[in-house]
Amino acid sequence: MAPRTNGIGVQVENTRICVVMVGLPARGKSYIAQKAQRYLAWLSIPAATFNVGNYRRTDAPQPPADFFEPNNPEGERKRRAAAEAAVADMLRWFKKGGVVGILDATNSTKERRKWVLDLMTQNNIEVIFVESKCDDENMIMANIRDVKTTSPDYQGQDPETAALDFRNRIRNYEKVYKSLNQDGDEEDLTFLKIMNVGKQVIINRIRDYLQSRIVYYLMNLHIRPRTVWLSRHGESMLNLEGRIGGDAELSHRGEEYARKLPELVRESVGSDRPLTVWTSTLKRTIATARHLPKHYNQLQWKALDELDAGVCDGMTYQEIADMYPDDFQARDEDKYNYRYRGGESYRDVVIRLEPIIMELERSEDILIISHQAVIRCIYAYFMQKPQEESPWVPVPLHTLIKLTPRAYGTDVQTYKANIQAVSTWRGKGSTAKHEDPSPEKSLFQTH
Amino acid sequence: MDTLLTAEIAANAPRYRRKSSTFIDGIHDVTDQDNMAPAQLYSTMSGRLFHSGRIAIVMVGLPARGKTHICVSMARYLQWLGVKTRIFHLGDYRRATVGEGGNVPQDYFYPNASPASTMLRQKILKKCREDIYAWLNHENGQVAIYDAVNPTAAGRRALAKEFAKHDVQTLFLESYVDDEEILKENARNVKIHSPDFDGMDPDEAAERYLKRIETKIPIFETMQEEELNYVKMINAGRAFFYNNVSFNYLSHRIVFYLTNLHIKARTTFFVRAGPAEGEEFYKSDAPLSEEGRSYAQKMTETLLRHREQERKANSEQAGHEIRLRPLTVWTSTRLRTIQTADPLKEQGYNVRQRSQMSQINPGLCEKLSEHAIRRLYPEEVEKHELDPYHHRYPRAESYHDLAVRLEPIILELEREQNDVLIIAHESVLRVLYSYLMHCRPMEIPKLKFPRDEIIEIIPAAYQNEAKRIHIPGLDPQFTPGSPEDIRIPVPSIYSSNLPPIDGISSPVEPSSMDNVLTRPPEKVVNNAKEMVADKVADLD
Repeated sequence: MAPRTNGIGVQVENTRICVVMVGLPARGKSYIAQKAQRYLAWLSIPAATFNVGNYRRTDAPQPPADFFEPNNPEGERKRRAAAEAAVADMLRWFKKGGVVGILDATNSTKERRKWVLDLMTQNNIEVIFVESKCDDENMIMANIRDVKTTSPDYQGQDPETAALDFRNRIRNYEKVYKSLNQDGDEEDLTFLKIMNVGKQVIINRIRDYLQSRIVYYLMNLHIRPRTVWLSRHGESMLNLEGRIGGDAELSHRGEEYARKLPELVRESVGSDRPLTVWTSTLKRTIATARHLPKHYNQLQWKALDELDAGVCDGMTYQEIADMYPDDFQARDEDKYNYRYRGGESYRDVVIRLEPIIMELERSEDILIISHQAVIRCIYAYFMQKPQEESPWVPVPLHTLIKLTPRAYGTDVQTYKANIQAVSTWRGKGSTAKHEDPSPEKSLFQTH
Repeated sequence: MDTLLTAEIAANAPRYRRKSSTFIDGIHDVTDQDNMAPAQLYSTMSGRLFHSGRIAIVMVGLPARGKTHICVSMARYLQWLGVKTRIFHLGDYRRATVGEGGNVPQDYFYPNASPASTMLRQKILKKCREDIYAWLNHENGQVAIYDAVNPTAAGRRALAKEFAKHDVQTLFLESYVDDEEILKENARNVKIHSPDFDGMDPDEAAERYLKRIETKIPIFETMQEEELNYVKMINAGRAFFYNNVSFNYLSHRIVFYLTNLHIKARTTFFVRAGPAEGEEFYKSDAPLSEEGRSYAQKMTETLLRHREQERKANSEQAGHEIRLRPLTVWTSTRLRTIQTADPLKEQGYNVRQRSQMSQINPGLCEKLSEHAIRRLYPEEVEKHELDPYHHRYPRAESYHDLAVRLEPIILELEREQNDVLIIAHESVLRVLYSYLMHCRPMEIPKLKFPRDEIIEIIPAAYQNEAKRIHIPGLDPQFTPGSPEDIRIPVPSIYSSNLPPIDGISSPVEPSSMDNVLTRPPEKVVNNAKEMVADKVADLD
């Protein structure tokens, strides 16, 4: 597709992409769709998933395997209607400003794929197909047991019967399934085909940067279990005064937290297995990490430094409200987008954290010691917090947060060090130093 | 090891430029070992990164498949990330062995070559491999790119085995082309300058050249070896097939990079933002002054005039009207850069703001005199003088930090098929420029971009080219050394016995050496084309 331009080289730009998942059931399509959506939404790229199964369920809540027979006309009609409803909703969503829509369905025939492609092309929406192909029978059965038997389709049924029924359902799909470009006549499609969890990958006709970014992200996903630990630095001298930013030393209690941290981490890890530790370049996080065992590998990242408050750096909220009353109010109205004069917004922080997230996705166990705003942003990525909420999430000092990503969402556990610290949380409109988050704001379940 | 021969290879190879000028792309320089790279995130004792050991990236593909372009681009990116990478062109070894103007025997590539030819070939291969091992084993190299045809599956299997014996992992990278158009285009680009095809119709020359490859290298098997790690790049990036047996992150990164690589012609322009109102202060983020707005206007006029002139010239050369490539403008989120783009925006050009392109953060030392810095942070000054590229003053960013944060911009720049105008602070221009022209980290803080010049960078397969376009009619007061410069002292790397810097606001500008670094020639000779001319006979 050539860029549309006028005579003097001015280009119209509005990339919209429909990601069409392809593959038999139990190949991790929903997992991939869900991860991609979360990543894009976190980067402020409006993304949504349209799961055809959910549309079909309203019409046929608990269908038996033969519903999915290719020559069961009733089943075929209902499944077609569900796909049409999902795609129609997606097009409406694109009209309202959507950028990346993900169609989560098997899309296992060439005809179905062509139908989606034509419809999207008519609406000037690019299409990238993402196929997950897997022939490893053990992996498929494991996925069925883990995920599918808990699906609403099988609610209240015996898991083994459910698993068997599901295996039969897949066989019905196998009868008509055509892998992408299997016959060599889908060469013009943009697609990513991942075979046997990344052992082989085909990338075809990537047309723009956003597509390449999605492909790169999906290639870095892995399914090995792992954990991410987050902690703020120990209480700092500026925390005591209720001042933001700065590059202060730890307070006495902050030092105490630094000494306690190794024990807290060991308790949470459950063994002496070494972690990789990432800190910011500011004194308070480096000091917080310095008592961790020598065999932990430590790295300092500039990208993990606290949100830059620009001219307000080192001030108390009261001082900011007095000196820059308009700014103070503007920030409360839209905290995610407000950029401090000469400093950063939460949005800016997310953009600079993007390489960190890419590294996190490909890595295994990592402990991150950073700052309130940065941890809020990383937390928002894993927990899918909307932008209106993420800048207000309470992240108390002297607390270790353990995130365990699972197929559908992330588990959170927190470990309190039981060392007193001031609260640095601030409610909307407030300038008070050391305010306690209201009870309904406490999102973390204490361990 | 036969060091004499190696030195001779380096001397005879047109690919190494020993004298550095920042207006010539330095990608083929043999670098000093201990320098960190522009965007290197960390260093390790072994000098190897990304939890990967030593890797040989073995190129596979017939001539005219764009292997050189791929090798050079990949090396540029990997070195930028800090991965110590070096390209070993087998052709250089063959030329050095056969001698200037010498030819290899006709049956050199034949499977049933005469014993003499086979021995010659073995000798050349052995020398090249020895250099690869020496570099990986004794010079802390991490990625050796082995640029040769490697046409047979048996040969590749043997190669992987041999590398494994030396504890080197192998990733094959095949450039596979079956699109006639791409083949002809590649052949035309490379062969036009060869005396062999002088005066011949370009299409005919290309066809003859492709025929010649076929006769010279009769057997070529595309990669299908299931047990090997390989990436097959099909038709210049139209598709990729990636067979991953044991590789991890680094190869993903390479694939990601390659998916953004293209060979279409385009240009990148760099300009500074105009001067701002009032006193310059990092945190104030001031709007453009009156002069700044007038600068924006003049810069815009100059740029558009230049583009139109180039278009006319190209149209004349081609014999038909050529349309302008679309132009996209990228600015940072700082007011001054956004407003400098206003005249272009008014004409309908697409302007994108990128927060990653904000200027380097000067931290606490902004506006402090050098005396004050020395008094307040004596230890920091000492550290800075040891390593001005990586050291950061309190709360400041180093150039290294800046390079790391600009990485997504660089990939997007590779992908971009439009012409791009980048309006940014000098610190950002320095880093982006150093990526495209492969400057050494120590040079980066010293690069200069006077306001009265638009820098134009034209990418080419072998090396990129830079040009400058003068913006006429500007008040000289606002052109060089404007007061917005980041006042981070940069000790001279060329003479260590200079007296201490007076006043941090004017970084030292010593001697004539500096001029070599900062003043480009008025007209840059097209080195790239001369360099590829000798590739005609290059069938390795």
